[in-house]
Amino acid sequence: MKQIILIILGVLSFSFTAEAQNIIEGTITDSQGQPIPGVNVIEKNTVNGVASDFDGNYTISTRNNAILVFSYIGYKTQEISVNSRSKIPVIMVTDNAKLDEVVVIGYGSVEKDKIATSIASIDGEEISKQVASNAAEALQGKAAGVQVLSSGGSPGASPRILVRGVTTILGNSSPLIVVDGVLQPSGTSLNAVNPQDISSMDILKDAAASAIYGSRASNGVILITTKRGKSGKPVVNFDFNYGVQGWDRIAVADAQEYISVINTRRINDGTAPLYNPEDYGAGTDWWNEVVEDFAPVVNANLRASGGSEKIKYGASVSFFDQQSNYNKGYYQRVTGRFNIDFELSDRVTLKQDISPRFESYENTPNLLFNTLRIDPLTPVYVSQSERVGRNEYSIFGLSENLVPNPVAQLARQFTENKFFGLFSNTQLNFKITPDITFTSQLGLNVTSLTWEVFNPEYFIGPNRQNEINNYTKNVTQNFDYVVNNTIAFDKTINKKHYLNLLGGILFDSENTNYLRGYADGLPSNTDQNLWQLDAAEGETIRASGNQGTQNILSGVFRTIYSYDRKYTINASVRVDQSSRFPKENRIGIFSSASFAWDVDSEDFFKSETVNNLRLKIGIGEVGNQNINRDGADFTIGSDDYVLGGQRVVSNFLGQFGNPNLKWETVKDKNFGFDLGVFNNELTLSAEYYIKTSEDLLNQVELPNYTGVPGTVAQNVGSVESKGIDIALGYNKKWNDFTLGLNLTVSSNESKAVELAPGNELILGQRRPTLGNRFVKITELGEVVGLFQGYKTDGIFQNQTELNSHTSENGKVVQPNAQVGDLRFVDQNGDGQLNDEDLVTLGNPFPDFFGGLNLNMQYKKIDLSMQWYGTFGNDVYNGNLEYIRAGTQNLNVLAGTTDVVWTPTNTDAKFPRLTELDRNGNYKNPSDLFIEDGSYLRLRNIQLGYNFDVKGFQKCRFYVSGQNLITITDYSGFDPEVQSGGIIDGLGVDFGRNPVSKTYLLGLNLTL
Amino acid sequence: MKKIVLFLTIITALVFVGCDKEDFLDQPVQGKQTLDDFFSNAQNAENFINGIYRKINGESWWQVNFQRQINEMATDDNWAGNTEQPRPDIFGIAQYNVFPGSTYFNSFWESHYIGITRANIALDRIPGVEIDLEKKEQYLGEAKFIRAFFYFDLVRNFGGVPIVSSYNEILDPSINDKTRASVEDVYAFVEADLKEAIGSLPRKSEYAPTDLGRATKGAAQSLLAKVYLYQEKWDKAQTMAKTVMDSGEYALEPDFANLYKVGFAHGVESIFAVEFINNPTFSEVGGQFPITNGSRGDRGWGWGSPTSDLENAFLSEGDNIRLRSTIIKHGEPVFGDPEVSEFDGIPSENKSGRTNRKYYTPLADRPEPYARGQIPGQYIHLRLADVILIHAEAAYFNDDETSARNSMKLVRDRVGLDTNMSLSGTALRDAIWKERRLELALEQQRLYDIRRQKINGVPRIALILGPNGSFVKYNTEESTDPFETTNLKESQDSGALFDPNIHMLWPIPPEEIQLSRGNIKQNPGY
Repeated sequence: MKQIILIILGVLSFSFTAEAQNIIEGTITDSQGQPIPGVNVIEKNTVNGVASDFDGNYTISTRNNAILVFSYIGYKTQEISVNSRSKIPVIMVTDNAKLDEVVVIGYGSVEKDKIATSIASIDGEEISKQVASNAAEALQGKAAGVQVLSSGGSPGASPRILVRGVTTILGNSSPLIVVDGVLQPSGTSLNAVNPQDISSMDILKDAAASAIYGSRASNGVILITTKRGKSGKPVVNFDFNYGVQGWDRIAVADAQEYISVINTRRINDGTAPLYNPEDYGAGTDWWNEVVEDFAPVVNANLRASGGSEKIKYGASVSFFDQQSNYNKGYYQRVTGRFNIDFELSDRVTLKQDISPRFESYENTPNLLFNTLRIDPLTPVYVSQSERVGRNEYSIFGLSENLVPNPVAQLARQFTENKFFGLFSNTQLNFKITPDITFTSQLGLNVTSLTWEVFNPEYFIGPNRQNEINNYTKNVTQNFDYVVNNTIAFDKTINKKHYLNLLGGILFDSENTNYLRGYADGLPSNTDQNLWQLDAAEGETIRASGNQGTQNILSGVFRTIYSYDRKYTINASVRVDQSSRFPKENRIGIFSSASFAWDVDSEDFFKSETVNNLRLKIGIGEVGNQNINRDGADFTIGSDDYVLGGQRVVSNFLGQFGNPNLKWETVKDKNFGFDLGVFNNELTLSAEYYIKTSEDLLNQVELPNYTGVPGTVAQNVGSVESKGIDIALGYNKKWNDFTLGLNLTVSSNESKAVELAPGNELILGQRRPTLGNRFVKITELGEVVGLFQGYKTDGIFQNQTELNSHTSENGKVVQPNAQVGDLRFVDQNGDGQLNDEDLVTLGNPFPDFFGGLNLNMQYKKIDLSMQWYGTFGNDVYNGNLEYIRAGTQNLNVLAGTTDVVWTPTNTDAKFPRLTELDRNGNYKNPSDLFIEDGSYLRLRNIQLGYNFDVKGFQKCRFYVSGQNLITITDYSGFDPEVQSGGIIDGLGVDFGRNPVSKTYLLGLNLTL
Repeated sequence: MKKIVLFLTIITALVFVGCDKEDFLDQPVQGKQTLDDFFSNAQNAENFINGIYRKINGESWWQVNFQRQINEMATDDNWAGNTEQPRPDIFGIAQYNVFPGSTYFNSFWESHYIGITRANIALDRIPGVEIDLEKKEQYLGEAKFIRAFFYFDLVRNFGGVPIVSSYNEILDPSINDKTRASVEDVYAFVEADLKEAIGSLPRKSEYAPTDLGRATKGAAQSLLAKVYLYQEKWDKAQTMAKTVMDSGEYALEPDFANLYKVGFAHGVESIFAVEFINNPTFSEVGGQFPITNGSRGDRGWGWGSPTSDLENAFLSEGDNIRLRSTIIKHGEPVFGDPEVSEFDGIPSENKSGRTNRKYYTPLADRPEPYARGQIPGQYIHLRLADVILIHAEAAYFNDDETSARNSMKLVRDRVGLDTNMSLSGTALRDAIWKERRLELALEQQRLYDIRRQKINGVPRIALILGPNGSFVKYNTEESTDPFETTNLKESQDSGALFDPNIHMLWPIPPEEIQLSRGNIKQNPGY
């Protein structure tokens, strides 16, 4: 309603009359004579304007002495005096003076030379060429400072995107996604957008650029612009590719080696061997039983676009299907997008985009861990005679080492997820005058996710059983909307002064709602038609549900001023009010300013080689309101107790709140330059930034004696991140040969510059296997989230070494150690090992990381490669807690007997085998687990061939491979370890499903 | 210029329109009660008290109960038992190759303190609730009793622990700087709480049947008697135990076999117990022990198997009545369960092929599905026989041998054993100690008893365990038990690594040392 009032208000404010005195027509072409549709033709200083049709023709009524302005993106704007002519043909000249890209900047777009902030832009061509299921994959290595970390080789896993490192401790560090001006709900992954629909992506890297998004921008902002139709005859494009994915086999010990390890562990402790090797053969090859060699992946995309002068359309539909490397787990997605542009009048345009999305997926179990750990002695199935009376989920062997039988886990996993999402974006542009545009936009996101889980009744062993089958259905519905009302003023005054002003009021609302039902005693363990709540016959029925709303109301103002293409100033202010916070601290104000100097435009700067030199500086502030919604509240939980033979309600403090919670804010300064030489064949841009995250929010675990359950949300201090982003490009075209080379190099390191009282020491990554000790530590003035533990000093080789490892006054430091055990360094020399001897062991931040993209085209053949790597980072290899030790009788890697200490293998890396492990070789955090995690990986390689088929504009066939080569010294399964929060998770490896190798064939046709 | 003015005018209009947005921005959290609004009525106050009880045995098997069970494994009464799944964090403690970082120490510590904070909140908020004074007094007494129970359970496992005595302490930043209080201070705190609880709590007979299971005056007195006993305050222990015995509130269960029978949670002998029922609507309202303790051949996990050493102790007294209600043996019928004529103790997967009868549920009493957390029964923390034996032991050390003998006789009479009324001196002392072992066997008192009982200043545990301990010698040199000597997956010399300079207390969880930034110090030797 308010929008309508505003429009009327706007309309009434201006009275205008068009004095039609002369009719002018003409055809607009490019320098090669091809007509250009859609060129704006405006009578200068009026609101009178038209656009050329798809044959390049235009007709406009003007005054006789009028001046017509012809403008079109990518071409120089021309002003032509009418001088009483009635036919004016126009040739538009390409604008080569600058890199004339138009950059989307949030609530608008301007030419690249009008911005002074740090924005990385990626063309849609680059993205769609990548044959990625997720646009994030296509980002990797393309934009300096943007890190894309694989979430592992599970279907549908969306990679994590980190813009200039992590600025927040808590989980969600993903950037804000904005699609065609509509802010997506927090946590939206790039799965939401079909990569083939993307026309461009602009990543707002510094706060000067992202401050316009205020409290949702602290992790950076990714602006996605989708492809729209152009007037002209329809263009149809079809892209199809098919591939297979697989993992490199990880070789674990067979039964004979396993028995040797387990028995040696016991013999070394003086206890009897556990197994007789003659009773077993090679044992079970779990990898073969669990992992499928090849999993198919299919991607198909059909797009059509075109339109008349008044109505343009761009429509696409895509299908994606990826299977997992287990016999459970898949991800399927169908997306559609229909973008329609209506030119309602000379002044009013309407855009209506609709994008439905269906997803269907089955969660891929992370079974790698169990597949590697389970002993090879356990048979997959029990013998035929033992199967009598057991159902099909109960016929599996039970491992003695407590690892669930992974084949059994697969057999009884039944999860089903159905997702439906509808995205609608309506945008009305009203040109009040030629310089002032009012825009009203309504973005809607309606999603519904239903997941179902069925747990069958089974019995494999006393603590591997489910006495009664059960079923859960959960329905989550989200309704989110964004209303943007903005007004923009855009004008060049006296040819030298460019001014762009923007103001607006924005509403952002996220509403979530869930309902869950659980019941047991379903009448069938196998008939899936009976797996519904209605069919349940058991005694247990539970329901839960809740809803929540979070709203943000904002005002924005931005000004861009550029003088003579030499000096550019950008400034913006955003005021956010968030419903997440109590009234007193609800308001956040986020401002930014930046300045750029185009040195090459100066008269004194005359250079044949350097055609672009630009210096820029920016400062800005953004916030993070995306915290635990009720972190301030002391909430009551409920449970049960029994009195007098009856269940009674029991209540307790469920969450300890913190009424003093504040927003996180990120302030940053950005300094950089862009350089282009040899007609921009060679480009270099480098930026240095200092980013300070203040009032960082963390879920703090208080000492347990406080009796505070769980963790408490606290503002724990400030972290300062410094980093450098460098992008080097070389693009050249010879006759038949085109070469494009892009290198990005970034580095980023974060230090704790302030720690709040009570948080002088921030501990992270508690390892139950190491006695619930924390292996990551953050201290004032130091890099955050360093690894800590005992320093080791080799392995005790003989009794003399054992006896001489003492304190100054002769106290033996490791009284329980034996020859072959690790020697831990007693840092304070007090003769005993305790927390005072813990030291820093490594740094999870790489010295630098980066990507190299190579594109080549020779005649009809094209080749592209993407390399990505990190260098100089340490990784906590959690797998080492067992894979060389047989801890808890878990299986070990093949060849373990050769790498552990024995009297004849004294320079081994790993200590002797022992079951009791009285020295705590594998029970203490130490540098045994820390490794260099540097790697270089060929992310993508693609070879294409273009061929001619009659009737088709373009035909291209390609082969592609992903993750084919990885160069690393890291001994874990995949060096691309998931990084959680900056303090807790960065650089910690737990053996999740590794990244898959993929081989693809594809075909691209344009009609 | 005109246009800029116009532009600014419109901006102003936009701001004006977008101004009144309180409805849009007031979005309170839904579906959750908050502490400040919670204590508004009597029912909520009572529910909050119930929440403190929930922490006595923990919500599930692992928070608290399993550490109690591991404690039993670390004595001469139990093996770790489950040789099918030799977990180092369980076997390690049972064999005194102690891993301080064991999950079970950690959760035991953490869960108790969560319970203490629940009690502290109740003590802080309930005085302000509008309820009748008698009820209020009762609730405060219950909170004090359970708080004392928690601290007592902590001090006997870990030694001196930090004392948090009020909710306000947690709200103050200085809470982060706490250090461990001395053992004496913790006991003083426990005594003070119990004395106040005694003054506030109703007698068992004063409660409505639906309130059975709440703390009573008798429970507070009994616990106080035990607290005195642990501190060797013999005089006070004897007096307090006598008060309970003479209260008229309790009597020995005539049939020993009924103590742990379903339906006897609050029987005549029960002073303080956690009751378990079967009600599938609510998870974890039933018991855990029948599963965690049960034989792997009987749908259990097989942890904590009775030793032949314990069995021999019964046999040497000719104590068949208590033996058959304490130990089930592989291949033999189960006493009180006519449906089982040959028990499957799976000696190939279990060290001793024996199972705790006290936590065994006869087939007829088993619900279907027979699931952990759904099995009816009880966990008895305090019962009259315990108090009578506290009285006997305290009386002995008070040089009141007559009272000691009389009390011991009361307990033995119930199970048809003769009592030698001429016993005296250390023979009487040893008889009382043995009586305590047999009467309370597998009720998870043994570790604390042998830690505190001393012979010539040497704790008994050091004589039973350690390289030359009687239990270790028996197993390695004398035992001919067909099961234990055959299944060597659990080492026969369990307990040999016991070191009296270290193992009289359990280690402080290392996590707590790190979280307290080193303010909480580790016990010596760990």
